[in-house]
Amino acid sequence: MGRTSTETASPDPTHAPVPGDRRIVARGVTRRFGPKTALHPLTLEIGPGVVTGLLGPNGSGKSTFMRILTGLVRPDAGSAAVDGVPLRGDGTAIRRRITYSPGELHLYGEMRGAEHLTWFLRGRGAAARARALGMAGEMGLPLERRVRGYSHGMKRQLVFAAAMAPDVGVRILDEPTDGLDPSARSIVLEQLRADAARGTTILLSSHHLDEVDLVCNRLVFLNEGRLVADETMADVRERSSRIVIFTWGPDADISGIENRLEVHGVDSVRREGARVTVSLTSADPRAFLARFAALEGLPAPASIEHGLLSLKELYRELYGVEAC
Amino acid sequence: MSRQARWYTLLGLVFFIVLEALLAAAIVWWPSFAENVKTLKTMAAPLPWLREQIELMESTGVSGYVVGQHYFKACNTLGAAAAVLFAINAVAGEAHRGTLEIWMGRPVSRTRITTERYVGGLLAIVVPVFLSSATIPALLATVDATMTYGELALCSIHSSLFLACIYTTTFLWSAMDSQPLKIAVGMLFFSVFQFSIYVVKTITHYSLFRIVDLEQFIRITIDDELKVWIELGMVGYCAAVYAGALWVVHRRVP
Repeated sequence: MGRTSTETASPDPTHAPVPGDRRIVARGVTRRFGPKTALHPLTLEIGPGVVTGLLGPNGSGKSTFMRILTGLVRPDAGSAAVDGVPLRGDGTAIRRRITYSPGELHLYGEMRGAEHLTWFLRGRGAAARARALGMAGEMGLPLERRVRGYSHGMKRQLVFAAAMAPDVGVRILDEPTDGLDPSARSIVLEQLRADAARGTTILLSSHHLDEVDLVCNRLVFLNEGRLVADETMADVRERSSRIVIFTWGPDADISGIENRLEVHGVDSVRREGARVTVSLTSADPRAFLARFAALEGLPAPASIEHGLLSLKELYRELYGVEAC
Repeated sequence: MSRQARWYTLLGLVFFIVLEALLAAAIVWWPSFAENVKTLKTMAAPLPWLREQIELMESTGVSGYVVGQHYFKACNTLGAAAAVLFAINAVAGEAHRGTLEIWMGRPVSRTRITTERYVGGLLAIVVPVFLSSATIPALLATVDATMTYGELALCSIHSSLFLACIYTTTFLWSAMDSQPLKIAVGMLFFSVFQFSIYVVKTITHYSLFRIVDLEQFIRITIDDELKVWIELGMVGYCAAVYAGALWVVHRRVP
């Protein structure tokens, strides 16, 4: 399991903000909405050029955290700095150095697509506007049409083009692929990868674990406003190589299976109905599978999977719910 | 021109056209009014408040009639409605349609975007009042009457400041709320209530419309000066309420 919030609560004090450092630093950031604590003290540091996926179920605090980083929501406690600029006042200084794409999409229906891009990119310069227009054009958006005639996916692409066009060191994107069809999603993911390759720090939230798997090199999991896991993709892949998943048919009698699988080389066994997840101490499952084959009286499993611990599995492990 | 500037220009233009149409109609009707004022007084006898207004206009001639028609009637009623309508959507409208986050999410400070919106709406109210007032001498020339630009400018300042107070109050409410319709109904109810107590002689002094009634405008045209403490009071009120609106916007969660 990755680091917990307690473990990450003491970032390197030498990491003082330097303008343009492309880092995202949050220290003890807290936010309450009435009696509900949306974000418990959260400390997180994201280094330059890292693409970080912020994951968690609805209401886990992802959007609140992103809004705090962009100055849209004031934290009740704690401090933050983005791209070397400390969060102060309404966060304008930060928003000048980053781009932000909100999760909830409500645009001005009476404005045309091109007008909207100009409106979004106020203060970003003509070059950013030209890039956004070019990008939106490549996505096939009808920029002369009023936005009220756009589908949800088209609006998402328009906002994405506005968020990707400015030449900044940090982008904060709240569910950038929400509502996109597979081809539009692949274009967006490709652009994110290309942007990350140029060294841009990207913090994105998503419910689509497959796309997070494709573009992120770090994963931060939130639940009920708390940091529950913080892992690199390499950690996740290493962990996946130690997992074996058995699935039996619905009529198979596998009572007491957990105890029987607790053999040498097994770290833990978890059963959910007819599905049993075994975590091994080593990445090589051959010895374990040999011991499993030798167990007597066990019905034959319908499937055995190894090395397939996807983000979905990790998500399920952390939250006990299925992700998209 | 930005989308917001275009919108406020359109609102201001509509407001100006309506004010100017009412003003032109009123001035064209001036000779008939002067001719029939005795009959009008007789008709208004059961309503002491209305009779007093007519007597005031009769005693001050064309200038009393014009300020009564333009500032007291048109600017106070239409202007108050415009002030409320132009301000209700300033922030609450964004929240209501869900665009508050993108409005605040651009790299522009909240002070700036709020001030731009405040000033835009305020100009859409004040400029038509001044522009329509500036046409009065030319319109009066058609009925062989005169008024000076100076006295009209003073009346315009007084009327505009009153409308600014209504506008700024609505703006503050808009900064705090997310339901434009609720604000509109609340402010229009407040305005109607204030006017209803204005026309009741025993409680008329409790009405805010006393600040901008016929008597006040006639006094301005006669004295050819404003009562500085009243004007400064209104400026101070607007400044304080606007500062409150800014404070609210800065703390508002999109």
